[in-house]
Amino acid sequence: MHVDLEELDSLLFDWESGSLDEDGIKRIREMLRKDADARSHFVTTQMISAAMQADANAALDLPFHGDSHSEPDFNSKSTTPNRRVRAPYFWISIAASLLACMTGSWLVYSHITGGFPRPSPIVGNNGRGLRDASKEPTAQGVALVTRLVGVTWGSGQAGIEVGQALLPGRFAIQAGHAQIEFFCGATVVVEGPAELHLESATRARVKQGRLRAHVPPAARGFSLKVDDLRVVDLGTEFGLSVSASGTNVQVFDGEVELHPPASERRLVKSGEAIVRTAQGEYQAARAVSASFVGIADLESLAQLQESARYRQWETWSAGLRHDPRLIAYYSFDEPGDWKRRLACSNEPANRELDGAIVGAQEVAGRWSGKRALEFKQPADRVRVQIPGEYGSLSLICWVKIDSLDRWYNSLFLTDGYEKGEPHWQILDDGRLYFSVRPVERGESGPRDYKALSPPFWEPSMHGKWIHLAVTCDVETNAIVHYLNGQILSRHTVPESRMPTTTRIGTASIGNWALPTLSETEFAIRNLNGSMGEFALFAAALTAEEIQEIYQYGKP
Amino acid sequence: MGKLESREQFIRQLTEHQNRLYGYAYSLLGDHGQAADVVQETNLILWRKVDEFQPSKPFLPWAFAITRFQVLAFLRDHQRDRLLLDAELVEAMSDEVERKAEKFDAMRVALRHCVQLLSTNNRELVERRYYRGMSLTDIAEAADRTIGAIKVALMRSRRQLAECVRKRLAVEH
Repeated sequence: MHVDLEELDSLLFDWESGSLDEDGIKRIREMLRKDADARSHFVTTQMISAAMQADANAALDLPFHGDSHSEPDFNSKSTTPNRRVRAPYFWISIAASLLACMTGSWLVYSHITGGFPRPSPIVGNNGRGLRDASKEPTAQGVALVTRLVGVTWGSGQAGIEVGQALLPGRFAIQAGHAQIEFFCGATVVVEGPAELHLESATRARVKQGRLRAHVPPAARGFSLKVDDLRVVDLGTEFGLSVSASGTNVQVFDGEVELHPPASERRLVKSGEAIVRTAQGEYQAARAVSASFVGIADLESLAQLQESARYRQWETWSAGLRHDPRLIAYYSFDEPGDWKRRLACSNEPANRELDGAIVGAQEVAGRWSGKRALEFKQPADRVRVQIPGEYGSLSLICWVKIDSLDRWYNSLFLTDGYEKGEPHWQILDDGRLYFSVRPVERGESGPRDYKALSPPFWEPSMHGKWIHLAVTCDVETNAIVHYLNGQILSRHTVPESRMPTTTRIGTASIGNWALPTLSETEFAIRNLNGSMGEFALFAAALTAEEIQEIYQYGKP
Repeated sequence: MGKLESREQFIRQLTEHQNRLYGYAYSLLGDHGQAADVVQETNLILWRKVDEFQPSKPFLPWAFAITRFQVLAFLRDHQRDRLLLDAELVEAMSDEVERKAEKFDAMRVALRHCVQLLSTNNRELVERRYYRGMSLTDIAEAADRTIGAIKVALMRSRRQLAECVRKRLAVEH
């Protein structure tokens, strides 16, 4: 007698959507026991479900059209049959080789995608494989913002970050200095208040402001327009100031051509200046280079600002060390030779909490002078040994992620995963993942609650310092994920799945060690990136406290 | 072959076959979270046994055997949880699951092609339910249809997909 496969399908469907009762489960088992066809059908159905889930997890570019959540330009999914599925290992190797030659167009590309309000998951996946030349994303963008010092944004201008690509359109600052690199190669330092309209990679209109342009030979022909006056650079350095009283063009080096609307073009040479008054008259003047902030000036300004921020953080960090709620704090800021020891910064000092650096190399941190550790090789890690029992926990760190090419990218994990032990990591699709085991290993009982944030990773974060935090409150059964001081997601854990006591014991920063092995070098979970600060608190910090930590620590 | 080289081989194999192990575990558990847990545990066990690994011998049968063992251990340790199959059925079906899991990647390729052959409406339903993980209630609300209607449409799509995948795989072999 054959079973009804439609009935089996229907039961499996209910099972999958979580609505099947005990009798339904019994019925499925009965059908499978009775009939070989049912078993075969069952296996195929399950395998397809698993295949869909695997693709969903990998966020591979899905075979769908008309995804309203994505930028159409990035998502034109014409049919490409027979596309090869690559195994995860292959993605990793591709990602690694990409990383090795991550220069030029790739860098620009990742900056460009960062410039869009909502990069689609498909964009995020690029660089992990599945390269198809016909699908290479195209993007608009005419310039990059490469430095911002003391900038305040004007009304109607969304805040822009360093490294972000600019689309054609308005760019305005109220105060401070911004350095913009046009894709043609010209660099412009803009002093606020200023308003520009970017037209192309070689052209912009200036409404107001002072700016200094550096135009290397390759970018010759770069032009700025003020009303109907066009200033064409012939490979030089010049200043332009536009205000209600007129326009002032000063040439510091090389030559500039002025194209007035109704008259002959004029050549302005090094050391010369031309002023056009509000009445439209042209007057000759002398160029005064010092009155325009240039690239080098901006760089020293930026350094000043940077060291001021660094000092501000150091002062704050010195105060934090006395916080009685701290279990362990690693500032990554100890002077002198570290001797492969990551000093614990708690006050009063407890050398027992010092971490042992394995493999990871010292690199520059958020500010020049600040230190950090880079985790690259599969074995790289910092080993710590933290005794004691705790209740609520908060874990906080500054990281710079190069890529999420492991299934699990470790932030902080206890060895093994015993009762009360926390695991904090990032999945390859960019979701933060925090869990604490509620029962002893092997004991039957509630499973651990997996607090998974929505994906936060975007290509524009590549190579940038970001602040991650998670709080786990055993009183209110709440787990909260944070990114850059903002709540990313809040999870309520069923009481039975939240342990009342937490503990750390032996653990690793930036990796996961297996407990029972002496020579543990498990390749699968190391962080690919750098860490510059790590703190563990025996309390669930409030959203305000996390925000404060972010504000003091941001680069 | 040196120890290091052998370990490298091992890691290569293990990562290369993660999807197949996942397909195997999911088929016997019917739950994505449970399957992911079992695969994690399996990776751990395999790693502990790395010294038994012989690069000259096929990796998959060994890894499947340990996955099967871990699935059974999971059923034993989680008797109070909602479980789809029992140990007896897992034993009875593991051979067939293993045969199909070997072809997991070919199946994924076929499936992606087949999804494109669905009607626009059905493709959208499948995408929402299985690739974006939306709940039936949310899908029904968004489409302004009843849950029952969504279920019928999804089941029909699933049957089409299964048939299409079967045909494509049959052509390839």
